[in-house]
Amino acid sequence: MEQLKAYTNVDGPEVNAPDEVSKATIRHWCEAMQDGNPLYTDEGYARTSKYGSIVAPPTMLMAWSFPPLWPPIESHEGPLDNVLVLLDAAGFNQVIITGTSQRYLKPLFPGDRVSFNYRVENVSPERQTALGNGHFVTAVFVYRNQKGEEVGNQTLTILKYRTAA
Amino acid sequence: MAWKTLYWEDTKEGEALPEATREITATTVVSCAIASRDFTPLHHDPDAAVAAGLKDIFLNTPTIYGFAGKYLTDWTGPEGEIKQISLRLMMPALSGDTLTMSGKVARKYIDDKQHLVDIEFTFSLPTMPNCTGKATVELPTRVSE
Repeated sequence: MEQLKAYTNVDGPEVNAPDEVSKATIRHWCEAMQDGNPLYTDEGYARTSKYGSIVAPPTMLMAWSFPPLWPPIESHEGPLDNVLVLLDAAGFNQVIITGTSQRYLKPLFPGDRVSFNYRVENVSPERQTALGNGHFVTAVFVYRNQKGEEVGNQTLTILKYRTAA
Repeated sequence: MAWKTLYWEDTKEGEALPEATREITATTVVSCAIASRDFTPLHHDPDAAVAAGLKDIFLNTPTIYGFAGKYLTDWTGPEGEIKQISLRLMMPALSGDTLTMSGKVARKYIDDKQHLVDIEFTFSLPTMPNCTGKATVELPTRVSE
């Protein structure tokens, strides 16, 4: 637990999203979610909206932050990675998200480049859960556009657990 | 095509949002995971899900946000602006499940000239909730300033 504490409330590195915001990425999202909101995919409508352009669904926030499958990226060695590695090593090798919140501050437009960083706010003592014993890890992510403006943020509570025998 | 506009004045506290359902197939789980760029095996590999103590692949968290966003703006129309969403995730929504979405206006208020409603919603599986959530949405007003 002492080692875990060393990684809490330390800012991780600023990570750039692998892709810029694009109409194709937005449309793929809307297609899967079955979201017909014309702000996201109807250029004619979006042009007459208060944004004057297509915008990304605000709920896409997490979609900008997954690392590429290939080519391998240099390890970010961020505090969350370190916490998860420590918990894995202690046998809590399964992970599930139990709670989360997002705040949306500014819209993202096609062509925008997203970056984010995060910190681990808390690691709970070992708790009994329906899935097995584990630790709850709470992290806060801050997302920015290429101008450095915060576009949104997210809190994520993850349960790192050991499958019940 | 004309899009509907829900004005703040036309909502009331306690009002129910229309119910919606979505059948969750393996294609739903996988297409939504890929659209959110989430290649975690739990969302496409049934063996990985079973190893984690679940019966099948299940919707990832970005998808729950995506469904919530759609659920909210299907109700408000495109002029509704989502300010925040929080989710308490309970039972994962597995391939083969049907998700039923319901919600209500919990609070209606003006803050810093923004006309806001707080929505409480539940995404239900046949036997228990998949998640409960809260959202704040800014709506257009009929009153010009």
